[in-house]
Amino acid sequence: MGKATVIPFGPQHPVLPEPLHLDLVVEDEVVVEAIPQIGFIHRGLEKLVETRDYNQFIYVAERICGICAFGHSMGYAQTVEELMGVEIPPRAEYLRTIWHELSRVHSHILWLGLAADAFGFESLFMHCWRLRERVLNIFEKTTGGRVIFSVVCVGGVVRDIDAAQFREIIGTLEGIKSDYAKICNAFLKDTSVRNRTDGVGYISLEDARALSMVGPFGRASGLPYDVRSLGMGAYGKLSDFQPITSTAGDCYGRMEVRAKEVLQSIDIIEELIAGIPAGDIAVPVKGSPAAGAEASMVLEQPRGECYYYARGNGSKYLERMRIRTPTSINIAGMTTALAGCDLADVNMIILTIDPCISCTER
Amino acid sequence: MSAFTQTFAPISIADIPAMAADRKASGWRFVQVLAVNTENGIDLVYSFMKDGALENFKVEGVTKDDVVPSITGEFLAAFVFENEAHDLFGVNIKDIAIDFGGNFYALSQKEPMTVISPAQLAAREKAKKLAAAKAAKEAKAAAGESAAEASEASKAADMEAKLAAMDPEKAAKVRAAMEAKAKKEAAAKQAEKDAAMEAKLAAMDPEKAAKVRAAMEAKARKAAAAAQTADDAKGGE
Repeated sequence: MGKATVIPFGPQHPVLPEPLHLDLVVEDEVVVEAIPQIGFIHRGLEKLVETRDYNQFIYVAERICGICAFGHSMGYAQTVEELMGVEIPPRAEYLRTIWHELSRVHSHILWLGLAADAFGFESLFMHCWRLRERVLNIFEKTTGGRVIFSVVCVGGVVRDIDAAQFREIIGTLEGIKSDYAKICNAFLKDTSVRNRTDGVGYISLEDARALSMVGPFGRASGLPYDVRSLGMGAYGKLSDFQPITSTAGDCYGRMEVRAKEVLQSIDIIEELIAGIPAGDIAVPVKGSPAAGAEASMVLEQPRGECYYYARGNGSKYLERMRIRTPTSINIAGMTTALAGCDLADVNMIILTIDPCISCTER
Repeated sequence: MSAFTQTFAPISIADIPAMAADRKASGWRFVQVLAVNTENGIDLVYSFMKDGALENFKVEGVTKDDVVPSITGEFLAAFVFENEAHDLFGVNIKDIAIDFGGNFYALSQKEPMTVISPAQLAAREKAKKLAAAKAAKEAKAAAGESAAEASEASKAADMEAKLAAMDPEKAAKVRAAMEAKAKKEAAAKQAEKDAAMEAKLAAMDPEKAAKVRAAMEAKARKAAAAAQTADDAKGGE
């Protein structure tokens, strides 16, 4: 065994879209320990809740992350609605879920592109992002925005989608499906991809459970936990929902889970569009959360379970808003996956947890 | 498919290790730890989940002198949140499995989440005072209204009893006289109100007074139109 050396990794690194620092303790090119550090992009967004009323904060919540923007506005609104005992119209629940699943499709395809870029498959990266553009076009047509939509309000949504737009969405998704199948073949069957991902960054089911891992990161180790299976909102109206899992537990397993979840999300969107009820898209919300009232909520973001907590103080300003993102809880799993890996695999392993540092630090 | 439920339960600092050990032994999944800055100290909320049930355990009023035991022995993933509670709120947590000693978040300000600006404090005090004044006003109005209603109702009941005992013709005359008196009183009140408004308008800037007059006239026209519509509807029936 050689002498232990500490190699700093990040916060600026080609594989990291966002700043994360790791001190990698290596011996003979093998990582013995990985010590993370964050805080390079902390913006104090949770603190802002003290000076923005509960309707204004929705616009702050969706700026926590550029990829999970819609999910954060939806999770925040659900928590405040729970806090104030507001029941939103069924059509609003369906619309929120359709946009949320579209966000998952674009997030996973974006990640697949980044993964392809990380293992040096440039053309595959470009194909993925070209497909993702078509999902962003749907967002632009239905909400007016490509990244920040601002369509969620406390009490429902502010925009409806009409039947013609639904037909167009289904047409676009069907087109994406056929192109996506070809891309999936490259990700799941190509020998060079498998050489780079098979057995890399393995985490057993027991470790995944002990480390409270969430999202595709946990499901790739066989952990069958997905918040959507709790049937909240429009997810409860689905004929069937089974979390997609893999037993591989390595980088390949994480890629496989995300690749299959894209098709699952498209199926969910098509089923919801077929059954969306007519009616109002929002209810008026008056008053303020009671002093000391508390509510918590969980939502399955593209990267996994996200926890929301709100406490009222009798005024229109919340006393506290807490958003615990999936990456925060997956940091422990990431450091475990890195221990014992080759130095050359570090970037691949970090990428396969799909870290979102903006979400983590808020 | 298990349904989602959530609960909040209070615990003390001394109960934290036993609570964590019990959750671990019963197969609960660790969700998070959060801190809330309050006037009585920091509140810590520990969350666990199992089969759709989300349990939140709340430790209230943790001060800077309190030493909070870490739960990373049972749930390693908690190290992120315990370091966060230390770095952002200044909570003194001991024996964290991976303790960054205040360097997990690279911050320029010490314990930023506990900072309450004077403007914010003043706004909070004002909001509290307003809420208290509103509640007191509502309670007073409710009490006054119920007392006035009761005395009015008892007066009306007495009069009705008297009228019932009278000769019917005389009773009809008394009723007519009472209605005329009520109308006269209402007209006098309205005249008094109009005179007060005129005095106010005379004291106002002429341009503003003209605007107020126009708004009042529009309101009166709207009310008259609504009354006319109601009359027409009655006539139609």
